[in-house]
Amino acid sequence: MIKTDVIIIGGGATGCGIARDLALRGIPHCLIEKGDFAAGATGACHGLLHSGGRYVVTDPIAAKECYDENLILRRIGEKCVEQTGGLFVRLPGDSKRFRELFLRGCEDVGIPTEVISSTNALDLVPNLNPELEEAIKVPDCSIDPFRLCMLNIRTSQLRDGIIFTRHKVTEIVQSHGRCIGIKATDQATGEVREIRGNIIVNATGAWANMIASLAGCEVPMTLAKGSLVITNHRLTNMVINRLRPPSDGDIIVPNEAVCLAGTTSLAVENPDKIGIESTEVDTIISEAGRMIPHFNHTRIIRAFSGVRPLLKSKKMDAHEISRGFQIIDHGNGMYSIAGGKLTTFRLMAEKMVDTIMVSFKLKRACETAEIPLDGQEELSGYPLSKRLADMKDVVCECELVSRKEVERIINQTGTRNVGDIQHRTRLGMGPCQGGFCTFRALGIMNDMSVISPEQSMEMLRGFLQRRFRGIRYALWGDQLREEQLVEYIYLGILAMEKPQ
Amino acid sequence: MSVTEYDAIILGAGVAGLTAGSFLAERGFKVALVTSGEPTVCLSTGCIDVCSRDHNPLTGIKGLAPEHPFHLVPEKTIRESLNNFQTAMMDMGFPYTGTAEENRLILSALGTFKTSCLVPSTMKAAPQDTKDSIHIITFAGLKDFYPSYILSRRKNTKFSVYDAGVSSTMGIASLFEEKDFLESFIDWLKGQNIGEDKIAFPAVLGLESAAEIVQKIAAHIGKPVFEIPTIPPSMPGRRLFNAMKDYFRKKGGDIYWEWPVIGVEKSGRIIEAVMTASKGRPNSLNGKAFILATGSFVGGGITAGRETITENIFNLQVFAPSPRETWFENDYFSFNHGIGRAGIKVDSSLRPEGSRWENIFVCGGILADTEILKNGCGHGLALATAHLAAQSCMEHIR
Repeated sequence: MIKTDVIIIGGGATGCGIARDLALRGIPHCLIEKGDFAAGATGACHGLLHSGGRYVVTDPIAAKECYDENLILRRIGEKCVEQTGGLFVRLPGDSKRFRELFLRGCEDVGIPTEVISSTNALDLVPNLNPELEEAIKVPDCSIDPFRLCMLNIRTSQLRDGIIFTRHKVTEIVQSHGRCIGIKATDQATGEVREIRGNIIVNATGAWANMIASLAGCEVPMTLAKGSLVITNHRLTNMVINRLRPPSDGDIIVPNEAVCLAGTTSLAVENPDKIGIESTEVDTIISEAGRMIPHFNHTRIIRAFSGVRPLLKSKKMDAHEISRGFQIIDHGNGMYSIAGGKLTTFRLMAEKMVDTIMVSFKLKRACETAEIPLDGQEELSGYPLSKRLADMKDVVCECELVSRKEVERIINQTGTRNVGDIQHRTRLGMGPCQGGFCTFRALGIMNDMSVISPEQSMEMLRGFLQRRFRGIRYALWGDQLREEQLVEYIYLGILAMEKPQ
Repeated sequence: MSVTEYDAIILGAGVAGLTAGSFLAERGFKVALVTSGEPTVCLSTGCIDVCSRDHNPLTGIKGLAPEHPFHLVPEKTIRESLNNFQTAMMDMGFPYTGTAEENRLILSALGTFKTSCLVPSTMKAAPQDTKDSIHIITFAGLKDFYPSYILSRRKNTKFSVYDAGVSSTMGIASLFEEKDFLESFIDWLKGQNIGEDKIAFPAVLGLESAAEIVQKIAAHIGKPVFEIPTIPPSMPGRRLFNAMKDYFRKKGGDIYWEWPVIGVEKSGRIIEAVMTASKGRPNSLNGKAFILATGSFVGGGITAGRETITENIFNLQVFAPSPRETWFENDYFSFNHGIGRAGIKVDSSLRPEGSRWENIFVCGGILADTEILKNGCGHGLALATAHLAAQSCMEHIR
């Protein structure tokens, strides 16, 4: 049994941020995550570091929080933030009144803006719709959510934090009405670990109510599914927003070599049972195509969706629900932190840890806004310069990942899950979506004896089934062509059978 | 602009196009074959799948859905197309094993069995059940072949690794064409003292002389040797393409390599010519008849938009299930995705249905309702429909 002070459940941005904050304030802690880091809404968003502009009209408090955090993250997380800048574009027919509200709102909150002519906007982003009326420049940035989690966790790891990924919490241990620990199952081996702590923090986003219910508690939330599509090209170097009230398909974010466009908003009941609908994909593409016409012809490599854990509200349209967050004291040693968004994760963590410090009767101020994130040099992804330096034995041709790099990640993390390799190297993230390289990565894992031959077959099957869920709704043009080839390889050449 | 006159113009250099081309060239017609690039046959296993739905492929065909294009081809023509293919490949030194009445099994790189009808002689010795013990030889660094997948299915299997000094499929295959390399490899293999019943290799045993190389290794070791097809780049697929291409040329056919079609000249109900671009210069290839064998999506014969599917040369009407949601099922392994039916519907002489063109004949993967993966009918369907298309074409020219 492991004993610690604070148990954090959830390895998204909030959970990882709390681990970093606790580490900097010297509080022993243990973080449990059922998948890999950023597996929930953190990893399934557009990777936008909001300027706050999107919320100035509907939710000025959230907008102010976003802008403050935007400034902080640009300072402390230089290597995982790309300072792209953003534009809010007004197209013919978009309300002029909203433009006025927007500019006034930005001024009230303190977000710097610059109104630029359509000609100047086209100079900045040549792919924009040439019919745009004007654009407003804001300090939006793009951020890599997975790397952000890794960098936050790094501080915890350097200061003796205990981290378990791929461990699912199955029980909250209680004694005399207080939560005193958890039991978690290792998803690979089935082994159960028991961890005891004084405080349990439930930072599980869309799953918060499920975890709270293990201790007989409730977290009232509204779950809103948002879907996004990824293009094969970086069609813009700036974040592009539509200057109109929040609605479907109003944002395009450049990230590494691709662009993400979204989003939609549909209420859902169960975060484990979400799918994408063709109509969502069509809406996103045609709306994004209004801002950047090339979107209608570009290759879409996949669609995905995440679930926003929003605070419970009477508002029917989830676009209008506050992006603010809330800390719930269940009064039994467990706290839940709900709502919020990726941009404000650090602030959420700060408030959560402040609360914990009060309950421990300790005084040490938060330093997460001042100290740069640890490990930015070594964990700054796997930049192209490194990839090009090692072109021998490339196993993922789309993203240029070598066999050596795959072996390094396997040795370093001891992982038995091909997803962990994908997140850390970008293997399988390119146009073929792992069609060729996952077969190879699993073969390599088997060569290294981390998985058995039977497991490699089972995992390949599971991978293909999961992969298809992401690409099924974005199949036409070249992507359909690629998919037909991949299907022919697995079901034709390799004669994979229908699972029993 | 240059203008060249032909009896028949074939569009596409896959199994269907080359078969139709050779058929006509053998009968004295002046034939040109135009292709925009390498065909998908190079990505294939090189095996001729006719129909995997029954142990007897001809019986399997009878059970196919009523709209399947195989039903348009008389059984006599199917047999003839398979026989002619085997004769031609024998002639080119790349013999095939099998008969129209019986499917065979080949071992896949995942250790499963793939059903096929005619297979290259290099796969002839593949086990037909799980009893034979197998020793796999693989090559250091070869990234597209992992014996472990086969080990997961077959218990009585061992493997050894040979370091050839190169690690690509193509690189190793070229080495096997060198006499010295082959001899030193055979010496190494003898030293392994293999006790298993059969010896398996990923399909890298040479380029054009694979059949002899396999025979030579088997003779020296005294055990049956066979190849396992790999994911692309696939040597057996490339060997098949090369053999068919050389055969077509030998029969007098012209190949216009990397000549994408940029336009069509028509008059009334007749296509008169295809305009092609090569090195920036427009060329007109005039023909009395045209055989469309440009393949499905992967081959580039048809292209899917968000809602509609188009045919890329003559803008023929393409049948496709609608709406887009029905193109794919949720289950990846359903083998029943609606998109497998997309293609050109044809009449009994393989003219495009509902089209005004009298001198276009369609064959191979571009046909509608083939459901190739579900029915296991890839290259076999291409051979049979190419024969029929060439016959119809001949009648039209006369």
